[in-house]
Amino acid sequence: MGMDKFNDISDAQLVTMVARYDEVALAEVYRRHGGAVYGLARRVLNSSSEAEDVTQEIFLRLWNQPERFDPARGTLRSYLMTQSHARAVDAVRSLAARRRREMNEASQTARSAYDLAREAWDHVLSDEVQRALAALPDEERRAIELAYFQGHTYVQVAEILDEPEGTVKGRIRNGMRRMRSALAVAGIQGVEQ
Amino acid sequence: MMTHDEAYELLAPLALDAVDGGTRDEIESHVRDCARCQSELDSFRETAAALGNGVEPLPDGLWTSIAAHLPERVNLRGVAMPPLERFATASTAPTLASAPRRGRQVVAVLLSVAAVVIALMAVNLAHANSEVYQLRGALASAREGAVVSALATPGHQLVDLRSGDVRLAQFVLVPNGNGYLVTSSMPTLETGKTYQLWAIVDGTPVSLGLLGRTPSTVTFTITGTSGVSALAVSVEPASGSQRPTTAPIAVGTVKA
Repeated sequence: MGMDKFNDISDAQLVTMVARYDEVALAEVYRRHGGAVYGLARRVLNSSSEAEDVTQEIFLRLWNQPERFDPARGTLRSYLMTQSHARAVDAVRSLAARRRREMNEASQTARSAYDLAREAWDHVLSDEVQRALAALPDEERRAIELAYFQGHTYVQVAEILDEPEGTVKGRIRNGMRRMRSALAVAGIQGVEQ
Repeated sequence: MMTHDEAYELLAPLALDAVDGGTRDEIESHVRDCARCQSELDSFRETAAALGNGVEPLPDGLWTSIAAHLPERVNLRGVAMPPLERFATASTAPTLASAPRRGRQVVAVLLSVAAVVIALMAVNLAHANSEVYQLRGALASAREGAVVSALATPGHQLVDLRSGDVRLAQFVLVPNGNGYLVTSSMPTLETGKTYQLWAIVDGTPVSLGLLGRTPSTVTFTITGTSGVSALAVSVEPASGSQRPTTAPIAVGTVKA
């Protein structure tokens, strides 16, 4: 079955085919979502080779455990991205001990690191996501980006920003709610085919 | 034990993977039993996925590397049988520890049969591989559509039937009592044999039907049958059996 034959097949149907050991269906899932899975891992890890490892692991996991994807709970893109991010963050946190020693220093340079990183992401984030992110209050955006793109826990974000944990927790929650509303309005909440 | 409010206010950080292991486990434990938190977490994860949704060109050779690892899933060599006690707990089959001498002999025979089945699995692996690949084009069929529809039905339940750590079949159960085979890697049986599907009801196996020598598309219903604690598959004579005559080759728990 050639790739063009998959045009009318949904992501959920593809996963059913993957569950039936259909390698071509998995290749189609990779074609649709591999770039996003790889892109996110690369941004969090800042390493192409490590991002390739994560991407491979995510697709092999889908092959071996397709039943873990529940279409009632979200899109396949979201499911794969969640897995990719979690795995990338695990890898980043393996350096946690070294990072902890650097934490005080990091708190003084977080602003510049944040600005540099944002420049790097700007060219890959979609316009709508950028707009939604930019519309957040600065303190909410910073907390979310430090957590999501640099793999810090909210406790670490609080240390970096020198703010109480409860405050950071609230900023992440409020910022995510605003993002959710903005993306829903923009019609880009979830990527499903 | 984490309260609902404590878990709820950490759902957004959790969706960003910004919660440490111990706390994360506590939240996830709460979320499993809290539909409201599960829904909120799913929604935040969709948002997080959109946030990280920058597509980059895929490196050359990455797919080749992934594809090279795919056949490993159907490698059944060295597969361990599920513990007989697991089936016995859910049925009336005797256990090794409690069975009288004659019973032990029966169990030993059953274990031997099970070993033969596993050997058959290995021998027939290539054939099974060939057969499952023939299923690739079946998605457009009405039966396939029913499976896809079932997988999209709110409240559906997936039941994995396993032999040790290896999943041999997966069924989806929907709230109206219908059930469908989603996937199977059970190899083709010799002529004169069939797979038979059982529901374990109040500890007793109740037949749900014959699956044939090569299970592919299967539909059944358990409407009106309450108290199903597990599904199991055994190898039976081609005409089927009123009660299992061999040990199950795969068992899966059904949630209440």
